[in-house]
Amino acid sequence: MILLLALVIPAVTGTALILSGRAFRPSAEGNANTLSLVASVATAGFVTAAVINRPVLDQPWLPSLGVRMHFAVDGISAPLLILTAALSIAVVLNARSRPPHGGSSSTFYGCLQLVELGALATFLARDAVIFYLSFEIVLIPMWVLISRYGDSHDLAARADASGRFVLYTVLGSTLMLIGILALVQASGTANLDALAAAHGTGLARHMQIIIAALLLVGMGIKIPVFPLHTWLPPAHTIAPTAGSVMLAAVLLKMGTYGVVRLVIAPLPIGFGALAPAFAVVGVVGIVWGGLACLVENDLKRLIAYSSVAHMGFVVLGLSSGTTAGLQAALFANIAHGVVSALLFFLVGGLKERWGSADLATARAALREVSPRLGLALVVGFAASLGLPGLVGFWGEFLAMYSAWNPAPDRPQTLMRVLVVVAVLGAGVAAAYSLRVLRLIWSGDRTTPAHEDARGGEWSVLAALVCAVLVLGVAPGLVLNSTSKGVAAITMEVSR
Amino acid sequence: MSQAVVSVNAGILLPVLAPAVGAAVVLVTDVAVQHLRRVHYLIALASLVVGAVATFAGLGMVAGAARRTLCLPAGGQCMYVADSVTTTLQLAALLAAALTLLLSWPDDKKQSPGSTAVIMSLVLTATAGATAVAGAHDVGSWLVALELATLPTVALVALRGARSAISGAIALLTAALVSFALLALSAALWFTATGSGFLTPAAALVGFHDPVRRPILVLAVVVLIAGIGFKLSLVPFHAWTPEAYDGAPLPIAAFLAGVSKIAAAAALLVVIQAVAPLGEPPLAAMAIVAAVSMTLGNIMALRQDGVVRLLAWSTVAQAGWVVLPLAAVSSAAVHASGAYLLAYVLATLLAFAVVAALVQIRGAARARDLTEYRGLLSAHPVLASALGLALLSLAGLPPGVLGLVAKVAALRPVVTSELWVLAIVAAANAVLGVAVYLRWLLKVISSPEASEQASPPAVPDGAAPVAARAIRAHPATLVAVGLTAVALVLTSLSPQMLLGMLGR
Repeated sequence: MILLLALVIPAVTGTALILSGRAFRPSAEGNANTLSLVASVATAGFVTAAVINRPVLDQPWLPSLGVRMHFAVDGISAPLLILTAALSIAVVLNARSRPPHGGSSSTFYGCLQLVELGALATFLARDAVIFYLSFEIVLIPMWVLISRYGDSHDLAARADASGRFVLYTVLGSTLMLIGILALVQASGTANLDALAAAHGTGLARHMQIIIAALLLVGMGIKIPVFPLHTWLPPAHTIAPTAGSVMLAAVLLKMGTYGVVRLVIAPLPIGFGALAPAFAVVGVVGIVWGGLACLVENDLKRLIAYSSVAHMGFVVLGLSSGTTAGLQAALFANIAHGVVSALLFFLVGGLKERWGSADLATARAALREVSPRLGLALVVGFAASLGLPGLVGFWGEFLAMYSAWNPAPDRPQTLMRVLVVVAVLGAGVAAAYSLRVLRLIWSGDRTTPAHEDARGGEWSVLAALVCAVLVLGVAPGLVLNSTSKGVAAITMEVSR
Repeated sequence: MSQAVVSVNAGILLPVLAPAVGAAVVLVTDVAVQHLRRVHYLIALASLVVGAVATFAGLGMVAGAARRTLCLPAGGQCMYVADSVTTTLQLAALLAAALTLLLSWPDDKKQSPGSTAVIMSLVLTATAGATAVAGAHDVGSWLVALELATLPTVALVALRGARSAISGAIALLTAALVSFALLALSAALWFTATGSGFLTPAAALVGFHDPVRRPILVLAVVVLIAGIGFKLSLVPFHAWTPEAYDGAPLPIAAFLAGVSKIAAAAALLVVIQAVAPLGEPPLAAMAIVAAVSMTLGNIMALRQDGVVRLLAWSTVAQAGWVVLPLAAVSSAAVHASGAYLLAYVLATLLAFAVVAALVQIRGAARARDLTEYRGLLSAHPVLASALGLALLSLAGLPPGVLGLVAKVAALRPVVTSELWVLAIVAAANAVLGVAVYLRWLLKVISSPEASEQASPPAVPDGAAPVAARAIRAHPATLVAVGLTAVALVLTSLSPQMLLGMLGR
C-alpha cells in the first residue's frame, strides 16, 4: 500500500498537471508549484516509510508474458530512493525562486513528477520487465523538459540535444530489453531476487557473456561510459536546471543500479569476463572527462564532463568484483548524486543570472558579490575533487583501493595499471576544480553585480551542502544500508 | 461416401455473416428507398456491432481450443477454424471498420446520395472478407476471402474521383492483381505439394516428408509470403502504400491501415500456423523481410512532410514489426504477432482519427501538412494529447505502454530463438521509429511562437492564443477519437485486457 501510494501520487499528479495545461493561467503558476511540492513531499514521506518498513507489492500484471507488478525495497535501492525523493522536492523548491521558461509551468512540473515516478519505479522494481518499463517512463518527460524548457538561445542545438538524448537512450534501453528478455528466457524467471539468488547457475558461459555484453552496452549508454557518452554534455548544457539535476543525480544512477541488479548479481561469470574491458572504458572516461574539463569554457558542459569522470570511478568500483568495490561504487553513486545536484543547481542559477555559462567572460567574483553561492560552489567543487572529509572522497578512494586488490578472477596487473591512471585522473579533477574556482569564485571584481541565493534556492543549496558534509563525515549512513545486499552478491561472485 | 454436405453453425460464422448480410441489406434498402444516407450508416454500424458481439464467445480460449464449423462429414477436416487469435483479429477488424464509419459519418451535402449505399456495402464486404480469411482453413475460401477483403478497397480509394485518388487506386489495383496472381500460383503449388486443399500442419508435413515435393512446398510458402507481402505492404512489395493512402479519403486510408492490415496479417497467420511444424527454413525469408521493411519504412517516414504519407510509411515499418516474431517458429510467435498487430492498429487508428478531426477543423491542406502541427498542444490540447498518446504508442514509449508491451512481446520470440542479428536490427529500428514519431510530436508540443522568436521571456505565456476557429469537428469523429483514446489508455494501464483475448 505504501509502495503503491509512493508511485501513484507522482503518477496522478504528473498526469493531472500535464492534462490541466490550461487550468493554470500564468497568474496562478504558483499553484502548480504548490501542488507539485505537496505531491513531492507526500511521495517522499511514503518513500521514507517504505524504506523503514520494507513492504512488498507483488501482483500479476501481464500473465500472458509472465510479468508481475513486483515492487520492494532493499538496502541497495534504499539510498537511491531517498536521494530521488529528496531531489524531487529540491527541484520543485528551487523552481519556486527560479521559475521555468518556455511554456506552461504546469506541464513542467507534471514532467518532473513523471520523471520522479519513473526513477522511483526503476529503483523499486523487482521484475526485470517492469524494470525496463520504468526505465523508459523517464524518457519522454525528460525529453519534453529539454526540448521545451531548455536553453532557447540556439533552437537547432536544443532540438539536437533533446533528440540525441532520447535516441541514444532508446538505443541503450532497447539493447537492455533484448538482454533482459534473453536473461529471463535463459534463467526462467523475471524476478530480480530469484535471478540474483541463482547467480547464473545453469547458464552457459558464452550465453552469460552475450547477455552481459548486451546489458552492459545498453546501460553503458545511460551511465554513460566513455565512447557512448556523447549525448550527455549537450543534454546537460541545454536542459533547464531541474532537468540537469534529475538527469545527473538520478537518471545516470539508473544505469549503474541496473548493472548491479541485472549484470553483476545474476551473471557473475559473464560480467567477470567483460569486467576488464568495462574497467578500461571507465578509466578512459575518468581521464577523458577530466581533460575535457580542463579546457571546457561552458560551465554546464564542464560539469557534465566531470559527471563522465565521476561515473568512471563508479564503473571501476563495479568492475573490481569485490565487496569493497561494489560498496564504493554504490557510495560513489550517491555521492555523485548529491554533488552533481548541488553543482547543477548552482550553475543553473548562475547561468540565469549571467545570461550564459561561458567561463571566458569576465564576471564578478562570487566570493565578493554572492557569498552564499560562493560557499556552495567551494563546497561543491571541493567534494568533486575528492577532498577527504567530504562526500566525494569515500567512493572514489574506496573504488581505487578495491581495484588495487581485485577479486581473484580479475587480471591484477591490468587493474593496478588502471588504478594508477585513475589516480592521475583524480589529479586532473583537482586541477579543473581549482581552475573553475579561480575563474569565478576568487578575484576582486564586483561588477556586474548579481543577487545572492535566497528563499527556495538557498534552502536547497544549504541542504545539499549539509548533505555533502554529513555524508562525508559519516559515510556509514549509506554504507551500512548497502552492505548486506552487496555481501549477498559478492559472496557468490568470489566463490 | 458421396455425401458432400458440410455441417454449418451459423453462430460461429456470425462474425463473417453479419457484415456480409449487412452489405446485402444496405443494397436492398437502397433499391427500396432512395436518397437515404444515415440509415445506411446505421445498418452498417449495427451489422458490425452484431458481428463484434458474436466474437465474444471465442475470446481468451485456452491454447489449442478453437471453434470450428463447415466441417466435412468424413475425416472431420474443417474449413472454418477460429481460435482465440483468429477471433481477436476478427473483433479488431469489425471494430476498426466501425471506427472508419464513424470517421466518415455524413454531415453535409458533399456526398452524392447514391454513393453512400455503395460505400457502405463496399466497407462491409471488405470487412466480411477480413473476418472470413482469418478463419478460412482451406485454400479456396482463404484465397477468395482475401481477395474479398482487398478488391472493395480499390473502389473505395477511387470513389473520391480526384486525380490523386485515381492514381492511388491504380497503384492499389496493380498491387492487388500482382498479389492475387502470386497467391493463386502459391495455392496451386500448395495443392501440388501436399495434395490437400486444407491449410493444416498435417497437409504441410505430407509434402515436407516427400523429398520430391518438398521444394514445391517451400516455393509455395515463399511465393505466398510474397503475395501477402503486397497486402501487408512489406518491403519490397510496399510501393503502392504511400500513393494509395495519400490519394484515398482519410477514413478510407484509416480503413487500409486498419482493416486491410488485419486481413492480411490474419491470412498470414493462418498459413504460418500451417507451416510451423516445418521448422525454420521456409520462414528465414520472414526475418529478412521484417528487417528490411522496418528499416526502409522508418527511414522513408523520417523524410516525409505530409502526415498521411508519414503514417503510410510508418505502416510499412510497423508491418515489419508485426512479422518480426514470425521469424521464430513457436506458438508464442503467433501470439506476439497478433499482439503487436492489435497495438499497432489501435494506435494508428487513433492517429488517423485525430487527423480526421483536424481535417474537419482546419481543412485538409493544413491537417495533412506536418509543419502545420506546430503548437497543436496549445491550440487543441485534447486532440494533441490523444495524438501524442497514439504517436508514443507507435514509438513504444511510456505513456504509450501498450506499444512498449507490444515491442516486448514481439522481441521475445526473436530473443528466445537467439536470432541476435535480427534482434539488434530491431533495436536499431526502435530508435529510428522513435525518431520518426518524436519528430511529429516535437512539432505538436512546441510553442507556436518558438519558430519566430528565440527569446522566451519576451513572450508572456498564453498572451496571444490564436483565436480558435469556430468550426468544430463532427461529433461522430470526436466519438471515434474518444473511444479509441479511451481504449488505448485502458489497454496501456492493463495490457492484459488485450493480450488475454489472444488466449491463455
